[in-house]
Amino acid sequence: MCGISGIVHSENIGRNLFNSIRNLEYRGYDSCGMALLRQGALDLRKNVGGIDEVNSLEKLDQMQGSIGIAHTRWATHGGVTQENAHPHLSQNKQFVIVHNGIISNYQELRERMLSQGVVFESLTDTEVFVNLLEESYSNSKDIEQAFLAALEKIEGSFSIVMLSAHDPEHLYCVKKESPLLLGLGEGCNYVGSDLNAFLEYTRKAVVLDDGEYVVLGRNDYKIRKLKTREHVEKNVLHIDWDVETSKKGGYSHYMLKEIFDEPQTIRQALKIPHEQISGLALMFTEATRAYLMGVGTTYYVANISQYFFSTLANRYYPALSSDEFSVVSVESGDMVLALSQSGETYDTKSSLEYAKLHGAQTAAVVNVMGSAISMMVDQVIMQGSGPEICVVSTKAALAQTFIMLRVALELGRMRKHISQDVYQKHQRELEIFPQMVDQILNEQSGFVRNIARTTSHVEHWLFLGCGVYYPVAMESALKMKEITYQHAEGMPAGFLKHGTLSMVEPALHSLFFVPLPEQKDLHDRTLIAMEQVKARGGTVIGIMFQGDERAQSLTDQAVLLPQMSALCAPMAQMIMAQMFAYYAALDLGRNIDKPRNLAKSVTVG
Amino acid sequence: MKAVILAANRSNRLSPFIETRCKPMIRIAGQYILENTICFLKEAGINDIVLVVNHQQDLVRRYFGSGKILGVNLEYVVQDELQGIGQALSLCQSSLEKKPFLLVYGDVMTDYNPFLSILQTYSEMDKEVALIALPESSKEFGNVYLDHEMKISRLVEKPKANQANYVFAGMFVLFPKIFSLLEEHQNDISQCYGQMIETSGLQASLWEKGWIDMIHPWHILEANRMLMSSWETAEIDSTARLLGQVHLEGSVRIGPNVTVESGTILKGPCYIGSNSYVGNNSLIRNYSAIGPDSIVGYGSELKNCVLFGNNDVGRLSFVGDSVLGENVKSGSGLTTVNHTVDYSRITCKSNSDSIETGLTKLGAFIGDNVSIGARHTLGPGTIVESGKIVTDNITL
Repeated sequence: MCGISGIVHSENIGRNLFNSIRNLEYRGYDSCGMALLRQGALDLRKNVGGIDEVNSLEKLDQMQGSIGIAHTRWATHGGVTQENAHPHLSQNKQFVIVHNGIISNYQELRERMLSQGVVFESLTDTEVFVNLLEESYSNSKDIEQAFLAALEKIEGSFSIVMLSAHDPEHLYCVKKESPLLLGLGEGCNYVGSDLNAFLEYTRKAVVLDDGEYVVLGRNDYKIRKLKTREHVEKNVLHIDWDVETSKKGGYSHYMLKEIFDEPQTIRQALKIPHEQISGLALMFTEATRAYLMGVGTTYYVANISQYFFSTLANRYYPALSSDEFSVVSVESGDMVLALSQSGETYDTKSSLEYAKLHGAQTAAVVNVMGSAISMMVDQVIMQGSGPEICVVSTKAALAQTFIMLRVALELGRMRKHISQDVYQKHQRELEIFPQMVDQILNEQSGFVRNIARTTSHVEHWLFLGCGVYYPVAMESALKMKEITYQHAEGMPAGFLKHGTLSMVEPALHSLFFVPLPEQKDLHDRTLIAMEQVKARGGTVIGIMFQGDERAQSLTDQAVLLPQMSALCAPMAQMIMAQMFAYYAALDLGRNIDKPRNLAKSVTVG
Repeated sequence: MKAVILAANRSNRLSPFIETRCKPMIRIAGQYILENTICFLKEAGINDIVLVVNHQQDLVRRYFGSGKILGVNLEYVVQDELQGIGQALSLCQSSLEKKPFLLVYGDVMTDYNPFLSILQTYSEMDKEVALIALPESSKEFGNVYLDHEMKISRLVEKPKANQANYVFAGMFVLFPKIFSLLEEHQNDISQCYGQMIETSGLQASLWEKGWIDMIHPWHILEANRMLMSSWETAEIDSTARLLGQVHLEGSVRIGPNVTVESGTILKGPCYIGSNSYVGNNSLIRNYSAIGPDSIVGYGSELKNCVLFGNNDVGRLSFVGDSVLGENVKSGSGLTTVNHTVDYSRITCKSNSDSIETGLTKLGAFIGDNVSIGARHTLGPGTIVESGKIVTDNITL
């Protein structure tokens, strides 16, 4: 996902264009840039970093000109570098474009153009297109014809906005499978990936459909079909809501949007090339000692991974909280794997620096490309979960868990702890997991909400689980604390009788993460703990699997998940607990996306 | 944009209240459901409304007329034979000028304005939109599956399986092409939605505030509770007379010409409709709605109940978790028992059926024009048919 914006005006637009990509920052924030036409020449500034960061380096908001385009990027492939940032200029600096999407046949086009002597500054598909434009223009000397001719040569999905020094009056835009809208102002017009690009300036919008292109002037716009060139009449929409709501696309909170994004996120995690996964697994085999590190949610993901490595690869790697990492004396030959959504987490970054200083190998699973952590480690896996806006992590944490499961599975195969048959069976289980997530998200919402409704007043919770379900319980308790502000304590179910049981009374609620009955030992131990709570009059809620009547009889209320593999079961429960926290917080009227006192990425010590 | 409100249907499950009115003419917290819907539509900028009517349509026409009193234009379309939503909608084609329109099921109720929300999604996406909500049970409704962009990917009507999806909330923005779909599918609206999902796509708009579809009589109590919970202010008409010591707490709403006698406690949210009288030393607890022209006798307690209007509750009565239809008169000492001794789940018996309510607190449902003599006790979940006369319970 990336954000595109363009403005045609009679006045200076530097400040407005900058604000417009800043309003699109939630679509991506690893690099950005702007290009304006000033006195017949294209002025281009772009760099790596968040929008304010790039602005402080490049002074984007002080750029001059009355027509321009801008872009904020969320890299999916191709590194995060200044060259790869948008906009992209053609070789003769007469054309500049911003692009969202993928040009699927760019390799062959690039090779042909290389052989004809075109010099490329970046490795991007976008730069191929802008040079195609230049080439077409040299033939036709007509911008619109050149634009159409170049478009005919490319395949894939794309929204493109083009500005040329040859035409200071118009932007040329096209939409195919990536979003693009027009905003209609008074004596000025706008184009953007979504409404937020121009909602601050105009409330009139036109939604473009796939296969349409636009010549956008200050006072006029022409929309035509790419194929037939026939003119298209469009409805002008009047938008009457605030910028913040429209970013959530029908959802009332980013958190729920991001939870419903999870099937997609898992699909992305499945697409991470096998070589990257096995490369990381190999690192573990080569290390003398290895540590898993994260802080907050990622610490619990590290804890869950600990169980994956132990059961699938017969290896124990301790999980440590980044802020407590100094307890370990690392040395050459050791390895530290860090987990971080933002890739900027201060504690994790400092601990990685400390590990590197002592000669350890480092690796990371990170969501934000080009982030500090992704750049500093020896090996990085980009999880590709897309921007996560809600302060509490849901889809990114789930994707990290899933990726760690893939790595553990790979290590198990390498170490021959699991047979090829078992390995393949597990692979198949992973492949059907996205569909399973889709099903449970949709079919369980109401059950989870009903339980949340009846229990949102509860101020003290115990979240309990055995084995891998124990760190799931801890992570889920953290979610609960973060967004409901109620007290929830995650602990091993076996802990109860060693102390906590004294707290149990009807007002104290316990949420049990009940394993599949086939996980007999874990299941038995969990049920014993449930009986202990029940016998003392405590209220028992369970997240369990269908057909587990024994466990269900011990609960006051239960979420019953469909049968699934033991491999994926803990992740399914994690999702249910995310929803549970969401609906409880909704009932309590909490500020779900921005809970009090919390920030998205903790970049200070 | 125009709106179509479907208000023709008669649903027997809402007995004993449905025989004498259509669902949208049920009065909740002092206001008809339909009135509430029309006011929300007007607030969302929709003034042209097509009303599809049949069952007890005179009531609707008499109260709303041309819509002038609410500042809207109402057009009536009569659905002579009740053959479902699709057929009802197909009758409105000529009234809709081939433009996108809002379709509203007349028996759903929300606490805040859902039209602002659905219209927002529509104008953002320029696509057909369905409002979706998450009820306590999804069994009665069209269950939807959502993808990550809030597009509906699948629809399962009234599922048998154990599932609890988001459901169609009975409000849609539809395009005129629905009429050709209706023709193609013999007015089967579910099939039309299904085809829309598969072809042009149907966008969801999420409604996370209160939402109730009136199916069973106890939904009247739920809707009343939901609506009153959204009240933030107390409103007392200047013509109301509170005599001597009357204690008020919370969002108490009192209409014109109401008299409340001394010693009475009013705990909000509660509502007393115009021209009503509440005798001395009564306790009107939260979520009680007393319809207009009613009398509540000395020393009575009301709690979580709806009195449609023109009711007499005799002295020293208790009415809790109950609904009294219009013109219900009871003598002194009426008690509606609202739970069993062991707080077990209450079964409601009506039309020789018995229905599990799933509720542990529930009183009685008394149809219109019922007269109950003095000193009667009604068990939990009792339904009294309209027009019934129960003589005094005299022991000697």
